[in-house]
Amino acid sequence: MAVARPIGIYEREELLTGCQAVAEGIRLANVDVIAAYPIRPYTEVMDAISKIIADGKLDAEYIVADSEHSQFEIVKHAASVGARAFAGSSGTGWMYGFEALVVTATDRLPVLFLVGNRALDDPGAFGVEHNDALALRDMGWLLCWVSTAQEALEHVLLGYRIAEDKRVMMPMALAMDGAFLTHSQHIVRIPSQEAVNRFLPPFQLGERRLHPDNPVSVAPQVNEDWVMEIRRQNWEAARRARGVIAKAYEEFNSVFGERYTAPYYFDEFMTDDAEVVLIGMGTVSMPARTAVRRLREQGHRVGYVNLRWFRPFPTLELRECLRRFRAVGVVDRDFAHGAPDDCGVLMHEVRSCLYPVRERPTVVNFITGLGGRDISIQDAVRMYELTQEAARKDALDGFVTWVGVRE
Amino acid sequence: MATAEKVLVYDRIKGVKQIPLEEFYTSGHRTCQGCESATVMRQFIKAAGPRTVVTGSTGCMYVANTSYMTTPWIVPWMHTQLGAGGSSAVGMAAGLRALMRKKRIPQEKINVISFCGDLGGGDMGLSAISGALQTDYDLLIIMYDNESAANTDIQATGLTTWGAQTTFSPVGTVQRITHRRWKKNVAAMLAVGHPNCRYVATACATFPPLDFLNKVRKALAVGGPTFIHTYDPCPKGWDFHPRYSHELGELGVRSGLLPLYEIINGEVVYTYDARKAGKGRIPVREYLSRQGRFAHLTEEDIAYIQRMVDEMWDEWEVPGVAPFRGTLKVSA
Amino acid sequence: MIKRVEINYRGIFQKTLAKKIGGDIVMIAARMGQVGFSNGRYSDAPERNGIPCKYFAFVSPDLSEEELEAECGAKLDIDEANISVVLDDTMVKGVEPWAWHGVRPINEKVVPYGHMLIVSRRRPEELVRFMARKPFPYYLALLEGEASFAGLWVYRDDLTHERVLGALAALDPQLISIEAVKGHLWDKTREQRRVEAAQEAFEAVRHQVYEVTPDQGMDWPYEIPTLPKWNEFSEGVVVKAVPREFHLGPKGQSRNQLFKRGTTKSQRPVVRFDLCTKCTLCWLECPDECFDPTPDGYYDIDYEYCVGCGKCAEVCPVQECIVMVDELAFEDNRSPWEHWKQDPEGYVRWAEEKKGTHRVLPNVVTGTGARVVQVEPVPVGGKPKPAARAGT
Repeated sequence: MAVARPIGIYEREELLTGCQAVAEGIRLANVDVIAAYPIRPYTEVMDAISKIIADGKLDAEYIVADSEHSQFEIVKHAASVGARAFAGSSGTGWMYGFEALVVTATDRLPVLFLVGNRALDDPGAFGVEHNDALALRDMGWLLCWVSTAQEALEHVLLGYRIAEDKRVMMPMALAMDGAFLTHSQHIVRIPSQEAVNRFLPPFQLGERRLHPDNPVSVAPQVNEDWVMEIRRQNWEAARRARGVIAKAYEEFNSVFGERYTAPYYFDEFMTDDAEVVLIGMGTVSMPARTAVRRLREQGHRVGYVNLRWFRPFPTLELRECLRRFRAVGVVDRDFAHGAPDDCGVLMHEVRSCLYPVRERPTVVNFITGLGGRDISIQDAVRMYELTQEAARKDALDGFVTWVGVRE
Repeated sequence: MATAEKVLVYDRIKGVKQIPLEEFYTSGHRTCQGCESATVMRQFIKAAGPRTVVTGSTGCMYVANTSYMTTPWIVPWMHTQLGAGGSSAVGMAAGLRALMRKKRIPQEKINVISFCGDLGGGDMGLSAISGALQTDYDLLIIMYDNESAANTDIQATGLTTWGAQTTFSPVGTVQRITHRRWKKNVAAMLAVGHPNCRYVATACATFPPLDFLNKVRKALAVGGPTFIHTYDPCPKGWDFHPRYSHELGELGVRSGLLPLYEIINGEVVYTYDARKAGKGRIPVREYLSRQGRFAHLTEEDIAYIQRMVDEMWDEWEVPGVAPFRGTLKVSA
Repeated sequence: MIKRVEINYRGIFQKTLAKKIGGDIVMIAARMGQVGFSNGRYSDAPERNGIPCKYFAFVSPDLSEEELEAECGAKLDIDEANISVVLDDTMVKGVEPWAWHGVRPINEKVVPYGHMLIVSRRRPEELVRFMARKPFPYYLALLEGEASFAGLWVYRDDLTHERVLGALAALDPQLISIEAVKGHLWDKTREQRRVEAAQEAFEAVRHQVYEVTPDQGMDWPYEIPTLPKWNEFSEGVVVKAVPREFHLGPKGQSRNQLFKRGTTKSQRPVVRFDLCTKCTLCWLECPDECFDPTPDGYYDIDYEYCVGCGKCAEVCPVQECIVMVDELAFEDNRSPWEHWKQDPEGYVRWAEEKKGTHRVLPNVVTGTGARVVQVEPVPVGGKPKPAARAGT
């Protein structure tokens, strides 16, 4: 991506893993409270932060918790007194703390969490799969996937900016593919503190903060008289978030150069005259885009859509984008056994998003890369070929193919 | 014993006339008539004063106390999850410390207190409390123990007295006693496992008078992470008329079933010394017979409980606290 | 046609009783070929002892079970009741089950020419004067007896259950007939005394049904709060704390204005300030923060928040200084300390009169009953006689 480099915006370049890049983001965001508990692959972010603090580069409370549940509760309550807070997890660890994640959303506390995506046990597995983070989809969280270390660092800043906006006040989960992104090293440009300060204001919880000077009661028990109105409020916040997200990217671009293009929720690659596209989240974009380049050389009109924001789902923008194509292949690095057509979670959402379009593209689904299985360029080419076939045969609409399974 | 008392400097309430008159937990809570746990709430915040932030775990003292959109709390209060008594306190203390150090809020002493019930604190939340007691934050965790999951209509917990009837331990036509666990000794367990924790105590809100108020003051004065376990007679679940709540607490303590002590910097101070050499004990029957939940006990059952209590005070290395009976001699 | 019966009861103390009555109405109606079902007001659970709660029974001679369920099932509360049963007569002073519901009249749901059945030892006019004036006539029936209070584990089997069923048969034989009631009780228990208790109540209540006309009752003094719309209250589940405020004197302590607890009590403490030694125990041990310290060192009571637990009377070291008295002996919630200050002798006469005739003495284990007794009055300056203490 061509990047303008205004002078003074970046202070240095460094070779960092995705996790270490997030840790740099945490340093630059001047986070106040961090709670750690180990589980790979996300753990490396906590390793990196503890060293940053030990080296005096960040002034923060760093707590080694006794479990994920405590870890998440600690940052939730740190946020409740007005501190900017960070935690994260992976796989079954994420699920262990899930109760705390649910209430963080309903308490509308804008903490940031890293989910280093990991397959859920049993059997104990450590490769990437998106089901851990996707479990948040109905819980009132902001949920976004990044696919490079540079994006990871930048989305820590974007994440706090969006989550802490007064109109939003929702927790933010930053998801990244375990191993492929969490642990591979890339050269990352590190912004200057001065530039970050221009983009990210200090966290203000305002009249909700728990402090003797601001006596409030947070989350009293409700009966049937209140829950529906509270849910309605939370829906409104999620709606408002859509506008706030776009504005945040615009301002990010104005400070850091043209890093992201509208509509920001997703990136399009070689889609201008495409007949067929694949859409996916996370590092599947690497083999997919390479496949697009190779297929284009052979004269195939194919493109790739990299979906970044899963919650809130960019309904209108994505609908307008995808309706232009003859066929859409949805790449799911997750499973939703027993779902309609036994499709993946993303397929379910994309199809639902496209349903109101009168002449909608044929939509097919690929379940692939589960448990950290490689998605090769050849796999991507095959998925394009199958999607092209679907563009010719309406009967294939809704067809689900497992790619990369031994059979 | 006395030395620990001597070195502890705190704002002691010497008589009933010195108790602050103002309330920080006030009328308009949906608790039972004669609720002793409500008395715990009222007294801990009275002792701590207004410069305090509080979290309350799910349980009676959450669900009953605060009915949306109202609250009985005058100080800042927040709900936390059932097992988060320890972690919520750590979160608040860490947040406040960071914000003060980074000069975003004024530097001052703000008490951080979290409360949880026996189910939340003594069973599910034990790990989080243990984690909290290993930190260096100033925080106080109060476990109000009414010996049941009282908010879900009285189910047995790890702290329910042996033999008690609950909805999880009913009296059957074949089995008379279905709750066969001995009451978990939470305060002492935490004291034993966390030698850097400088103050652990058990208390009963109304017996002896002023004692609980002063234990809260002591815990906050000692500093670091601290823990108080309160015994709260529950008129609903234990089945006695609400007007006798205070009396039930006193009987429980005097019978030796509910040992009252403090562990200050590793030294045990008995608030009520139920050893024969001390104030002694009344028969457990006097306590048990006043509660509907024990109405099914036979003479044999009561004798069993009495024997266990006698053992606890006459044979334990640290009576009423630590169930060790000395060390084994190593043979040559 | 649907017959809706609501059973108003005191949380926990009468939970088992209310559930038994509701369930048996369904079983007896079924004997008569009708369909029915029964449920409790879900938001009452988990019940706190003393709090006004409701149980319902719905019966229809002609609807299918599905239609009846659709009309009456899964509702927070019913809109109207053909019969409203009240198991503790002190609830006629109003009921406030939850915050934001306000103190509501006990006869709120009664329909024109519908029935109220109250378990009470009082005369109808003594009860009607506390109830809201209705724009139409309805019937009031009294089942003579004490409020039957039990504990969670010890059910007080004093035949109130059977007597209420018998009384209901007297009020609406189409709902449940006395023959069906007796048949059900006999089949279930094979105990003649239960059948007889129902028959006795049937006979007694049949002759004690009073018409309450629109001129009877009071203009309801309590406002019912309006619930705000979703965008009319703050986001993030945050509620402003009760403002910090304290001064010596009546109502000197700030309290939760949107949830008062007064309707929880069936008895209230009456204080002889002239006997008080200012020991602080009533104030200190009150689990509901109802005592207001006064400038002269006494402790006034805010009866709007008192739940009537009786702890203050129990901890008071002076005999006859604080005594629990039946709630229906009182007209209002005025400050007793102000009353005493304004008219010391009149107050003592007033207090002794209440104590003398309506004193309540409970037993320790909840399920074993309570007594209302009469004692000699204690004049100003007089030495109190030893108080009658409860047995176990």
